[in-house]
Amino acid sequence: MRNKRKILIEGKKLWDEDFEGIQLAKSKKRFIIIRTIIFFCFFVVFVRLIVLMVFDHEMLSQKAEKQYQSTKILKAKRGSIWDREMRPLAVNIETDSLYAVPSQIGDTKKLSSQLAPLINVSVEKLNEKFLSKKDKSFIWLARRMDEETSQKVDKLKNDLKLKEIDFLTETKRFYPNGHVAAHIIGYTNIDNEGLNGIELKYDKYIKGKVKKVDIGKDARGNSLSEGTEDNVHGDNLILTIDGNIQNIVEREIENAVETWEAEAAVAIMMDPNTGEIIAMANRPTYDPNAVGDSDADKRRNRAITDVYEPGSTFKAFVASAAIEEKIVSLNEKFDVSRGFIKIPGGIIREDHRHGVLTFTEVIQKSSNVGAATIGIRLGKERFYNYVKKFGFGDKTGVDLIGEVRGLLRDPQHWSGRSLPSMAIGQEIAVTPLQVLRAYSAIANGGKLMKPYIVSEIISQSGESVKKFSPEMEKKVISENTARTMRGILKTVVEEGGTAQRASIMGNLAAGKTGTAQMIDPKTGRYSKDNYVSSFVGFVPADNPKFALIVVVYKPRGARYGGVVAAPVFKKIVENTLVYLNVPMEKEQNYVYLVSNSN
Amino acid sequence: MVDRRILKNFDWSLLFVALVLSLIGVMTIYSATRPVVDVEQQSFYLKQFYWIGISLICFFLIVSIDYRWIARSGYIFFGFGIVLLIIVLMAGRRGLGAQRWLDLGFLSFQPSEFFKIFFIMAFSRYLSDMKQEAILGLKDLLKMGFIFFIIPAVLILKQPNLGTVMILLFVFVSMIMTAGVRKKIVVMTIIIGLISVPFVGNVLWGGLKEYQKNRIVAFVNPNVDPRGVGYNINQSKVSIGSGGFFGKGYLKGTQGALRFLPERHTDFIFPVFAEEWGFAGSIVLFIMYLFIVLRGFDTARRARDLTGSFLAMGVTFMFSFYFIINIGMTLGMVPVVGVPLPFISYGGTALLSNFIALGILTNVRMRRFALFY
Repeated sequence: MRNKRKILIEGKKLWDEDFEGIQLAKSKKRFIIIRTIIFFCFFVVFVRLIVLMVFDHEMLSQKAEKQYQSTKILKAKRGSIWDREMRPLAVNIETDSLYAVPSQIGDTKKLSSQLAPLINVSVEKLNEKFLSKKDKSFIWLARRMDEETSQKVDKLKNDLKLKEIDFLTETKRFYPNGHVAAHIIGYTNIDNEGLNGIELKYDKYIKGKVKKVDIGKDARGNSLSEGTEDNVHGDNLILTIDGNIQNIVEREIENAVETWEAEAAVAIMMDPNTGEIIAMANRPTYDPNAVGDSDADKRRNRAITDVYEPGSTFKAFVASAAIEEKIVSLNEKFDVSRGFIKIPGGIIREDHRHGVLTFTEVIQKSSNVGAATIGIRLGKERFYNYVKKFGFGDKTGVDLIGEVRGLLRDPQHWSGRSLPSMAIGQEIAVTPLQVLRAYSAIANGGKLMKPYIVSEIISQSGESVKKFSPEMEKKVISENTARTMRGILKTVVEEGGTAQRASIMGNLAAGKTGTAQMIDPKTGRYSKDNYVSSFVGFVPADNPKFALIVVVYKPRGARYGGVVAAPVFKKIVENTLVYLNVPMEKEQNYVYLVSNSN
Repeated sequence: MVDRRILKNFDWSLLFVALVLSLIGVMTIYSATRPVVDVEQQSFYLKQFYWIGISLICFFLIVSIDYRWIARSGYIFFGFGIVLLIIVLMAGRRGLGAQRWLDLGFLSFQPSEFFKIFFIMAFSRYLSDMKQEAILGLKDLLKMGFIFFIIPAVLILKQPNLGTVMILLFVFVSMIMTAGVRKKIVVMTIIIGLISVPFVGNVLWGGLKEYQKNRIVAFVNPNVDPRGVGYNINQSKVSIGSGGFFGKGYLKGTQGALRFLPERHTDFIFPVFAEEWGFAGSIVLFIMYLFIVLRGFDTARRARDLTGSFLAMGVTFMFSFYFIINIGMTLGMVPVVGVPLPFISYGGTALLSNFIALGILTNVRMRRFALFY
């Protein structure tokens, strides 16, 4: 009965039992089997769901987070560096870089032919690039384009509504003056991190904060929020440097190095009353815009990293000590006519023969015998204390990288000849900045100032973050002694002095020459050929507004500081006075430096 | 036409569950297409909402007609369906790399979605009309296989629409198995099938479109090319898994709205739901589908006649396989074949055809006690 069964009998009720009995008894079994298979499939799917949602939840959650979470690194703009007149010394230039999203490009050939001529590549190469990176979502097309190119590309992009190419702004450190003040400012690496000079010393201020902000992103990389860039940018620095004077100094020492075929030269100008460094230049030099092209030797700031024997410039400190200690009178006579003085283990000779000299003349004419005699009269301890007080053997504390302390031995390690030798500037190693600072103390009435280069740190929004003011370290000599010394140093540039070549319109300047033999590193003895010629002084002599030291290393053809360094000093000062618009009469020798505080 | 007794047996719970699922669908479509990054809210969810209305009207229309008439007209509709499929191939609108839509000007629809219903109607009539032993022989199988399955399958594959063909195949096989096939044939089919796998596989593989091949490769190992073909599967798993037990909360999901998940409002809508409602929400969803399937089988078992039984079975099989294949696909258990989740996935034609199918089921169920005059 179950076999040949015509089921559709109208009007007949088929109850459940009938269904099973009458219809497809076997069918019921099969139906149950298939139903079971389907339920089993449900079950399997369900188990899989448990695995994914319960057991793999952690792992998959992390994957999801990784996808939509993106941290935006807010790149801080590096602060600028300005001179005292707010002229830029180090700035950032923003350049446009062009990138493409190859996966979004429809017709690579068309785009290539439109774009290639603008960015100066061949159509084929560009097309090839697109095709080979087809599934990438980012490729650089041209980095740091010039203004013109980027405008052309921008126009093309707007005209054709190209969405597959876009710009990113990249900043680049730029030193508009090239090598000028390069040793002060220093330089940065490709990641805009300070590597030398002010760039390194003040890196933490000017680099700004690199802030990571959590922002979401969608599958196409669109950021879900922007993240605020406030307060991440670096601060700006205002230096004590005067860019124009720096230029003068750079030019003049360049000339000096050329004229004397010198190995190197240093010049530093400082405001003796405050310690502000107005200019600081070195030769050889380098271009911080292309640091890679120079070797380390050229990047060294010799003004603070290299020591030399100061020679006769040191006699001023012996003289200062002697006056302060009142062990000489200005008119006291020193008979140096023998031309030498015996010291334990040797003799000290004069460079030039002199007769009987007054104390003033000993300095004016730079008598070795006279200075040694005064040194011996001072005695070890007293002499040492004054040298120490003038700041030798210690770092000046200038805010630059790589300063050395020089070499000043304790008196107990001195030999019999040390005292007279040091009195004429031997057996001691100093940096040009140390000498300049010590002369500044004479210039300003006896105060040893801490030299500094950064006068103010201001935030991007223009608020003052930190202001630096002059710091006096100690009082070295009295006002009177300082005034007396200035008088003596004035005579150096007068008729009969060693530095007449430094004489400037009506003896405005005061200073001291120095000529020191360099130690030959091969023999350990004084070299007969290699000298360090220097001149250090201040202008105007009676009321100094700036102090200047010029040091020329290994000049050829001449060696005396009065011949080599003094003319450089003179030229720098003259040009500076012109620049500062100072009337050139003796009576009105007021010099004003541009003050930073206006 | 509809007497009180029939109305009394109207299964409101089935309609209720389907409606809840549809509304969950609208909500999830809204969430999946909500604007996160300066894009306006897309109107998918609204369109889907309108389609629910249209579907309800059709549902009640279907319910009001005696299912026997529905089955009786099965052949006509089947023929009509075949014609539509041919028209689609010739004049259909292309979309997403396939030619599936027929554009009527005021609306466009996918004939293949309706064809499944026509197929169930016609095949139910055929099976219940057979005056023979319930056990089907090879000849019967070949004949009905060719007419009911091979012809439409080829037409639909041409579009191409692998998903619908697979559903059709599963429903077809399930229905003839229930109707009864000689054991020998089943065994032989399995053996021949196994032997010919390499050969047929090769032919099939060669016949597959590139994107279909990629889907299979991605299914076997999604990590072969996580940015390319494996992307869907990986993203789907990540979405579902990151939901955890209680989910991230409605409109708090990230993977869908942030466009990491492709096809997020159509085939891959389940991951969006699972991410936001978690395992707990997914269980509720499972239970609702299971309820429909259980009711469907129950209806098939209790149907007043074979026609009703086969109709109910066909519809229930269809829902079951849709669910299993879709969820299995999102869980990475089944190759990505492009099968929507019934009632939830965005798509007007699909929603309408699902409600029509549900209407047929309800129809059979409420007339199980009816007297025919």
